[in-house]
Amino acid sequence: MTISANWYLLLAAVLFCFGLVGVVSRRNILVVFMCVELMLNAANLTFLTFARQQGTMNGHAIAFFVIAVAAAEAAVGLAIVIAVFRTRGTLWMDEVSTLKN
Amino acid sequence: MNRTFSKLALWAFLALLVALFLGYFITRVLPDYLPAGRAVPPRLGDLVFYACAAATVAGAAGVAFSRNIVWSCIGLLIALLGTAALYVFLSADFLAVAQLLVYIGGVLVLILFAVMLTNRIGEVNVSNQSLGLGGGLAVFAAVAPLLMLVAVLVPWPVRPPGPMAPTTARIGDEFLSTWLLPFEVASVVLLATLVGAVVMARKELKAD
Amino acid sequence: MDPKNLQVLVDVNLKSVAWFYPELWLIFGSMGVFILDLVWRKNRGRVRLLAGATLIVLACSGAALAMQPADAVSLFNGMIATDSFANFWKWLFLAAAALTVVISSGSQEFAPERIGEFFALLLAITLGMFLMASATNLLMIYMAIELVSMVSYVLVGYRRADRKAHEAALKYVIYGGVASGVMLFGMSYLYGLLGTANVTEFAVKLAALSQGFAGAAPGAAAATKLALVLATVFVSAGIGYKVAAVPWHMWCPDVYEGAPTPFTAFLSVGPKAAGFALAIRFFFGAFAGKMGATGLADSVAGIPWPAVVGVISAVTMTLGNLVAVVQTNLKRLLAYSSIAHAGYMLMGLAAVSATGMQSVMIYSAIYLVMNLGAFLVVILVAQSTGSESIFEYRGLARRHPVAAVAFAIFLFSLTGLPPFAGFMGKMYLFYALFERIGIPGGGWYATLALIGALNTAVSLYYYARIIRAMFLDPPYEKAAPVEASPGGQLLLGAFSAFILVFGVWWNPIVNWSARSLQIFRG
Repeated sequence: MTISANWYLLLAAVLFCFGLVGVVSRRNILVVFMCVELMLNAANLTFLTFARQQGTMNGHAIAFFVIAVAAAEAAVGLAIVIAVFRTRGTLWMDEVSTLKN
Repeated sequence: MNRTFSKLALWAFLALLVALFLGYFITRVLPDYLPAGRAVPPRLGDLVFYACAAATVAGAAGVAFSRNIVWSCIGLLIALLGTAALYVFLSADFLAVAQLLVYIGGVLVLILFAVMLTNRIGEVNVSNQSLGLGGGLAVFAAVAPLLMLVAVLVPWPVRPPGPMAPTTARIGDEFLSTWLLPFEVASVVLLATLVGAVVMARKELKAD
Repeated sequence: MDPKNLQVLVDVNLKSVAWFYPELWLIFGSMGVFILDLVWRKNRGRVRLLAGATLIVLACSGAALAMQPADAVSLFNGMIATDSFANFWKWLFLAAAALTVVISSGSQEFAPERIGEFFALLLAITLGMFLMASATNLLMIYMAIELVSMVSYVLVGYRRADRKAHEAALKYVIYGGVASGVMLFGMSYLYGLLGTANVTEFAVKLAALSQGFAGAAPGAAAATKLALVLATVFVSAGIGYKVAAVPWHMWCPDVYEGAPTPFTAFLSVGPKAAGFALAIRFFFGAFAGKMGATGLADSVAGIPWPAVVGVISAVTMTLGNLVAVVQTNLKRLLAYSSIAHAGYMLMGLAAVSATGMQSVMIYSAIYLVMNLGAFLVVILVAQSTGSESIFEYRGLARRHPVAAVAFAIFLFSLTGLPPFAGFMGKMYLFYALFERIGIPGGGWYATLALIGALNTAVSLYYYARIIRAMFLDPPYEKAAPVEASPGGQLLLGAFSAFILVFGVWWNPIVNWSARSLQIFRG
């Protein structure tokens, strides 16, 4: 027998919930980003499962676009993280120089 | 005191999850394999599926719960690899490769870069309201049972899957026919966001 | 795929381009502004030149919009639809973008060497909002929202080396990522349950699905319904995030405070309105039956989404207004006020009727003008005094009477007092609720209307506080003189005139929205 759709959906639900828990409970920005990626993966898994159930390619196309958009989102998000750390980094450098004095 | 408690709660919670998983496995899956008391060994493919699923869940748990950010990254790698393997099981070979190339080759490397860059500057914590582990568990307790119920109980449409065939050509057809507009909009999205990312991250322009 | 079928699909795409010229202008205009930004790198008048180029692009897009055939058709194999409803919102978005370009070209918050990219990205956001208003496919909805969101993240953090701006952008990107992830998961379930990603087919499939409930096992039927409700709630999380409805409003005050003020103004009127356009098309097109002769409709398959929207509406406006009372930073105050206004507009959505739809459209149009005007005053005062604190507004009537009077007009209009346009907009929202009260099971609409009325009273308190500071309190002795450029004063005058004229002569806008009620439903 092939694995039934329920299994895939259950797995996707668990992935999604782990992502949600991480987003809610973690303070580290980068971990939150990773958890968002988990959630998107869960959604993709669901789309592909239903694509198999319905025998069409629509789910495949949607999942592909989601991957593309997620990559763009990661790029923007990490650019913002870097920008934040640049402003904070200079702040810390000030502290370092005051300590030297 | 508080930390030990949250750790204990975490372990209890994970144990509960495993128990749920096993319970479902024994009551709903095993009977299919044991018709009339005769043990039939499950097929190899199914075993590989369960291994991939377990690895994915473990990786996801690592991302969400690990204290060490490098472990979180490795967890994400495992989860993404596991999902890619599952895509193959769903006869989505093209998507599996895309997942490998874009997610693992691109996004994960990007995140690793950010981890390394920011680690040099210092701790990665930014002021960010977080509900803590308790809040996370509360959210999980609220959402997870509902989603699992839905996943298991809904009579999803069933269609015997056809033989595995390469999907790349069919996806290409779809992109240039039905999904042409999203395809073009995706390029605008990528252009706008990449310019945006450069604008955010580049050094100050010299006023000339 | 069979080549013949493929040819049909390709032909549809080619034919659809005839309705796609406004969007094409925005796409190529955005790229053109990127290039012009490089060409005019060392030009002294680059701000004016680039602003002019952007306005020309917007005008061309508007001209293409005015000239396009006026029928409701599905485009690109069901990806988007064009109808008079979408066109109404597209005009609003064009107006919001054009006014933002004008306001920001006179603002000092943008360095001249960075303003070209701002304009180009603003055009990209406008394209995203166009698609939000016309998307009829789950994937298009997702991609349109992402286009608007991702460019917004960047523009929120546009001020260089500004810690507040960067943290605001970070907060925005995290909440946005989570909201879009949740929405996508909900969409995947909708796709699985209904077997299609095309929103216009949802109503039929939903009806078929609920017929199937009768024969199924009780557990399965209940689980299916639960799945539908969960999916709807998840999708509405993405939409609620865009309109800043409670409980997805947390980003709003910080982002509004950290973003460059002209872009804050744009965020509060553009993407928010796009969120409402999307919500109306999604809920009315997919989850409501066809409106009968009475203009009322009911939700399909027994999903109680009007009640859910009603509760969200009540909570949103109450929270927004109550927190706004204690704010002293004008940008934060206007942020909470915009949350409250999202709550008012959700009342129209909850009514599930033609009037409700129309009232949201009217209110969005009026809100665009009055809120942009209010932010314009904040920009002018902040440019002279360097602060957005309410204390800088003490004695503004003496320091700059034009700004003070215009601000008073905008604030009274935001409250919804009679001679101003805001009153007319609010009246329509309440009217949509009253229409529903008589219907069986519509009693809760009366409660919602009562909560809305109470909230209006609360909002009067904090708007009046600003007006009192401007007109009754004496200015500080060392208060900086407020100066406004002639262009800024002209804009203030135009906004005020709009609000005064449409406060008493509202037929044009009501007729226009009434003509724009046609939604493509497949």
